Amino acid sequence: MATNILRRAASSVMRETLLTGMLRRSYASVAVGSDIVSAAPGVSLQKARSWDEGVSSKFSTTSVKDIFKGKKVVIFGLPGAYTGVCSQQHVPSYTKNIEKFKAKGIDSVICVAVNDPFVMNAWAEKLQAKDVIEFYGDFDGSFHKSLELGKDLSAALLGPRSERWSAYVVDGKVKAFNVEGAPSDFKVSGAEVILEQI
Amino acid sequence: MPPIAVGDVLPDGTLSCFDAEDKLQQVSVHSLAAGKKVIIFGVPGAFTPTCSLKHVPGYIEKAGELKSKGVDEIICISVNDPFVMKAWAQTYPENKDVKFLADGSAKYTHALGLELDLSEKGLGTRSRRFALLVEDLKVKAANVEAAGEFNVSSADDILKAL
Repeated sequence: MATNILRRAASSVMRETLLTGMLRRSYASVAVGSDIVSAAPGVSLQKARSWDEGVSSKFSTTSVKDIFKGKKVVIFGLPGAYTGVCSQQHVPSYTKNIEKFKAKGIDSVICVAVNDPFVMNAWAEKLQAKDVIEFYGDFDGSFHKSLELGKDLSAALLGPRSERWSAYVVDGKVKAFNVEGAPSDFKVSGAEVILEQI
Repeated sequence: MPPIAVGDVLPDGTLSCFDAEDKLQQVSVHSLAAGKKVIIFGVPGAFTPTCSLKHVPGYIEKAGELKSKGVDEIICISVNDPFVMKAWAQTYPENKDVKFLADGSAKYTHALGLELDLSEKGLGTRSRRFALLVEDLKVKAANVEAAGEFNVSSADDILKAL
């Protein structure tokens, strides 16, 4: 009897359901309706930049308030610059849909990751995305930690990073919010999904 | 940890990189350095100017000369993850000899006593700029820069120690 159950469980559909149930994901502190600025008070991000730009801007940072207040923002977070799904699927899904975002009155489309702003800059240039969407670094993970979207990816040799997620935020209020079940998934955090939610 | 110095034994630790088959590997420092003459040079950050435009190219250019003086391995380490190190290494297509290894958690940099807090520049905990000459795990030269400088850790400087 037990072996029959196990055999059926081994079929992919059952396995997926079991695995999803077993996956322990921490739940974010933000949800539709929350205020992203209040969730991350005093937190700043660093705009992707070259070192020279860093020096001339005195390594200035941009507060979460300045990024979101009074604006319509689509923001997506990913585990790491130069990694597979992030480079090959996540960023391209937003860059190739930029005109659709602009047509819906979106002020900023932002990509954020727990990387330093210099790595984000080099990566954005490599993806030829620097002039299309905005890139910010959350170098110490404080932004993601405040939103409870931090994730330890030490097993993948990445250290503390973030979940893969996307959000539509209007004047700081979260209107749509999507988080993948696992950071390697790419089912709910792409541009096509959030375009339907705007 | 106090900074590593001449006469010390090189601590063991784990660094990571992508191998020739593009698979993620974890490498023990001792496995690379035991019984050999190696140069380990550390940089604060991939894709930052002194690191990218001066420090690394110097070692790539002088690799031949260093090897002719008996150096078996030339290793560049940085507190970056292996994906970033791989992408950065790819910006040097002419490189054949310098290995780019990632100390993503800064654990090895701490073991060397060479960590530096660069949070103000948006970098977090990183490594100081340095160059070590190590023979069979014994440190023969330890050239550690003062913050922001590039005077003692270049390939030319280390050639003088050989």
